[in-house]
Amino acid sequence: MERGLSAEEAQFRQEMREFFTTKVPQEIRDKVAAGEELTKEDLATSHKILNEHGCAVPQWPVEWGGQDWSDLQRYIWLDEMQLANVPAPLPFNANMIGPVIATFGSEEMKKRFLPPTAALDIWWCQGFSEPESGSDLASLRTTAVRDGDEYVVNGQKTWTTLGQHADWIFNLVRTDPNAPKQQQGISMLLIDMKTPGVTVRPIQLIDGGHEVNEVFFENVRVPADQLVGEENRGWDYAKFLLGNERVGVAPTGWIKRKLASAKEYAASVAAGDGTLLDDPLVSARIAELECDLAALELTVLRVAANSHGGKPDPASSILKLRGSELQQDVLELIADIAGPSSLAWSDADGSEVPEWAHNATPVYLNFRKASIYGGSNEVQRGVISSGILGLKG
Amino acid sequence: MDFKFTDEQDSLREAARDAIGRNRTEPVPGDAVHNEKMWQALAELGALGLPFPEDAGGMGAGPIEAMIVAAELGRVGARTAYADTLMAVTLLGQDELAGAAMEGSRLVVPALYEPMRAWSPEPARVTTDGSALEGVREPVPFAAAAPSVVTTARGDDGIAVYAIESPTFDGARLDLAGQSARHVGGDAHLRQALNLGTLVLAGEALGAMESALGLTVEYLKSRKQFGVPLMKFQTLTQRAADMYTSLELARSAIYFGAMSLAEDPEDDLTISRMKVITGKAGKHIGQEAIQLHGGIGMTAEYAVGHYTARLTEIEHSLGDTRYHLGRLAARVKDYGALDLVG
Repeated sequence: MERGLSAEEAQFRQEMREFFTTKVPQEIRDKVAAGEELTKEDLATSHKILNEHGCAVPQWPVEWGGQDWSDLQRYIWLDEMQLANVPAPLPFNANMIGPVIATFGSEEMKKRFLPPTAALDIWWCQGFSEPESGSDLASLRTTAVRDGDEYVVNGQKTWTTLGQHADWIFNLVRTDPNAPKQQQGISMLLIDMKTPGVTVRPIQLIDGGHEVNEVFFENVRVPADQLVGEENRGWDYAKFLLGNERVGVAPTGWIKRKLASAKEYAASVAAGDGTLLDDPLVSARIAELECDLAALELTVLRVAANSHGGKPDPASSILKLRGSELQQDVLELIADIAGPSSLAWSDADGSEVPEWAHNATPVYLNFRKASIYGGSNEVQRGVISSGILGLKG
Repeated sequence: MDFKFTDEQDSLREAARDAIGRNRTEPVPGDAVHNEKMWQALAELGALGLPFPEDAGGMGAGPIEAMIVAAELGRVGARTAYADTLMAVTLLGQDELAGAAMEGSRLVVPALYEPMRAWSPEPARVTTDGSALEGVREPVPFAAAAPSVVTTARGDDGIAVYAIESPTFDGARLDLAGQSARHVGGDAHLRQALNLGTLVLAGEALGAMESALGLTVEYLKSRKQFGVPLMKFQTLTQRAADMYTSLELARSAIYFGAMSLAEDPEDDLTISRMKVITGKAGKHIGQEAIQLHGGIGMTAEYAVGHYTARLTEIEHSLGDTRYHLGRLAARVKDYGALDLVG
């Protein structure tokens, strides 16, 4: 057991800190800090800068642009990125379909898709959830029927995040409706969003933003060489995709950044003769969240050291569960600090209220999603109770 | 950052588990009773001098090792003066009583509480004029076993530490007036003693939480109601998952507390965070362990409630969650982002 970083690790941290705070435009990082919605250009600019410096897809195999970093280095990379308010590399590319193709795709598929996926020359979106298949993802009903060298896809996906920007979608489809178990009849297809028969329709959310979409497939013809891996193995790939990442599951650097900002915000709100940061209830809330954050971050560091190469691990569920809860707690705190200054969402000319306070409520509302997406927290508890504790319902 | 135990540390855990398991007695409600057989087994293991330098009569290990032994005590619900003695030895420094305490030939505990006074590391109504002591300490742990006592007192030159080899108790109350006390030194070691004691208590809490959850999980698997095992009910298994989450987060914080003290025995910021995390986890797991057992969890003959009792005791020792949170809250202005690894 040993606390702290080695000289090399400290040096690496310094390099990462310098890179993120000097190479990624301040304007983009300020928008992230204030909780503003990023444009497609903002996300692409940041992602491409990261990729040019080998910092977009370090977890990939080295031959496809990954870095031979230790888990601790990857943790430092992510931590510094989040502390610097740098938007994450597009997760659909970097964390989801990229690793799946690198692990299960054919050589040809890797050559075709991995370089543009790393460089964000292809913008991916995720076609998993359906109107009738949320937590019960394996019940999905979008079908793909083989017809010569093509599959014909029909059905509907939903909650497709940033689908309005996407060039391609990785889609779970039912290829064998007669499989003995639902999970065994599912395949993963890569589909060009420009293919005739694909329609995207926006869903407006409670924060007023347009982040997610419905995607409709009507007799969409997909070349058979866009099948990932083997037919009817899509469920395995989906599980891999959702569970292969431990270091990045809990955004501890993001929470840390927000808590530090919360202190600044509280110090800028007048209360009585001082500021809200002088209020013992506010400082105690901050202190308690720092304790919760410390416990989570230390757990990330502890389990990262025991990770076993890409296999889904129930320990990830702890990180997802607590990571999402803490994200929500810190945004709740910030909205509470903004108090009455949070009541007007729009930032009209002449407002004396800073951007973060205008955004506090919509951002708080937006992140209620965190305990729902990627396997809801109730699903995570189920994974812990059955997968770790052996409580078989 | 490295959370792995060495082979030697793993061996120590095995040896401690074995020795403690052989000497434990069934837990009973109420005040802790000193178990001399257990105490001698711990002394033989070297546990009582574990974190102290060899040239001072210790084993030359550190806080990590002490935490390992404490977790084994907690796991089987053995209530001992382990944290107390390690604190006492730290406070005693070069005093001869320290050697006797480490050998197990004399039980020595710190007397740091004042009756009806919220926890503070600084004595308020216990005073000294440089020779005699005034004031009352209560409760003194394991007073029924007539231990020697180390205490602090407020004098003209600040806080001083005193040893009382053969105090006269009135139950768990120790009236310091008229006791033959020996001046040991200033309070240079007080913070280290409190940090080490808090870590050891947290280690014990970790063992207790593990066992409380383990018993609960077994019970959910074996107990049947409505014709099915309790684990068929998601309202119960979801809560067990939360208990596990609390346990693993606390484990990380406690391991980190140990490695932090190994590097800097004065790091009370880390120890306060650890105490808060452990306090919240202990309350959560202790309460849920009883609730998920139902009526059997209330009985003295079943183990689970005793873990909850001990976790409650630990919460109220050396500063509770409120105290440590207050200490942390007073410092949140001093830094921006939390930095644990730097």
